[in-house]
Amino acid sequence: MIRIAALICLMLLGPSVRANAAAVVGKAAPSFELLDANGEKTQLASFKGKFVVLEWVNFQCPFVGKHYGSRNMQGLQAKYTEKGVVWLSICSSAEGKQGHVSGAEAKALLEEKGAKPTRFLLDPKGIVGKAYGAKTTPHMFVIDPKGVVVYAGGIDDRPSTKLSDVDGAKNYVTAALESAMSGKKVEIAATQPYGCSVKY
Amino acid sequence: MSRLFLSVGLAVACALLAFPRACAAVTTGGSKNVDVALVAEGTSIRPGERFRVGLRMKMKKGWHTYWKQPGDAGLPLRVEWTLPPGFTAGPIEWPTPERIPTGNLMSYGYERDVLLAVKMTPPANLDPGPVVIAGQFDWLECRDVCLAGSARLELTLQVRPEHPRPGPAARLFSDARARSPRLPEGWSLASVAGPRAIELSFRPPPGVSPRGGYFFVDRPLVAEHAAPQGFERVSGSYRLTIVPAENAPAPPRRLTGVLVLEGIPRSKGNAVQVSVNATPGDPAPAPAQARHTLPAIPLYAILMVLVSLAFAILARRRAKHP
Repeated sequence: MIRIAALICLMLLGPSVRANAAAVVGKAAPSFELLDANGEKTQLASFKGKFVVLEWVNFQCPFVGKHYGSRNMQGLQAKYTEKGVVWLSICSSAEGKQGHVSGAEAKALLEEKGAKPTRFLLDPKGIVGKAYGAKTTPHMFVIDPKGVVVYAGGIDDRPSTKLSDVDGAKNYVTAALESAMSGKKVEIAATQPYGCSVKY
Repeated sequence: MSRLFLSVGLAVACALLAFPRACAAVTTGGSKNVDVALVAEGTSIRPGERFRVGLRMKMKKGWHTYWKQPGDAGLPLRVEWTLPPGFTAGPIEWPTPERIPTGNLMSYGYERDVLLAVKMTPPANLDPGPVVIAGQFDWLECRDVCLAGSARLELTLQVRPEHPRPGPAARLFSDARARSPRLPEGWSLASVAGPRAIELSFRPPPGVSPRGGYFFVDRPLVAEHAAPQGFERVSGSYRLTIVPAENAPAPPRRLTGVLVLEGIPRSKGNAVQVSVNATPGDPAPAPAQARHTLPAIPLYAILMVLVSLAFAILARRRAKHP
């Protein structure tokens, strides 16, 4: 009887040792459904067959400021959405935390910055951010048409807030997209992202 | 305001006491939340003889800056030196960082005042007189929000033939040394890295019996920084295990960072610098250590343990009194 009781204890304690949730390179991207800035439901699954870029964003973070202030991010969004890539900017800032935006605020900011993501997704509960293990803003993921993560990490190799560092930096997202879209293996598939912590 | 007084005070002190022998001028600057000053350890320098300067950072309560490996988020301080001809600067000597958990993320940095020292080597042929050491410092300071900070600081040092004496900031340098990891003299260290865990096994010098430990990995894409590390004693030596980074391309070949022991005073060497080869293998994770706060055992698990215990006791009673 005692043994059975002990076994029950063990079985119940087992699952509490949680694994870290994350989007892992080479594995299926965690599925999700979020509302976008227009209040429309957006499912990752609906973009199957296309390349998808996920960009974690907080417009009050100086690292995000670097890539929007230099128009680096807008340039990438325009270049790749024209090529049929789906670009999803995701804000996981919780309500009351830095960078939190309503749909209307997000739209105004996109307009002001001339940003052109396919959709701007609101994740105020941080569910999708945590499922992907999004740590910083920016934190970038590239998903291939089969729904497999082919890149996870930083936007480039110059961790700084200086606008002048954008020129001449090696952009990992560009490199991953160019390789993957031409059917080649992504050379650098994971890097340590840099930026502000995601304000969960 | 205090910064202004300090600068004026130093200028006056220099003018009254040391002039015309001149003294090491301290330049201050910084942001709203972090005061910075470039200071020297000695009162003067000698040709060809290494000396230390350092950036003293004073954080406003609640704010922090980062270690060389910031953990999940953040950015370490960067410096670009402008030095007189023939001078060379060494790397930043980073004191042992603190763990700064924010939600489900873990950063490594400094929440108290810190001195980031740098060893400078002047050329052997150097005329007596003043030299100017200048640096452009850029850093990230965070509380719940992050801001970029920067300052250009200058320090005038006097080249003199005599042996340098400890300057007014010498105490900061000795404090920083005491706060920095030591070399693991008298330790034996080994590492095995696998898919489930990266293991560091170690035997500290006699008389050092830690209660627990934490390993600050200093390279990117090696560890999940926010995941609790395992720790256990195995017949006189210890095993510490680290959860590998989810997207690590392969287990690391070398484990580098700083090992900090719990329950050991700083004077006995609670922090050591580690750089060991990691042999491939599949070590099992050691039992997880509780975080600073309560362990994250869900309430239902505790409840079920109690229920099961009651069940067991009842069963025993029934066995005794059928």
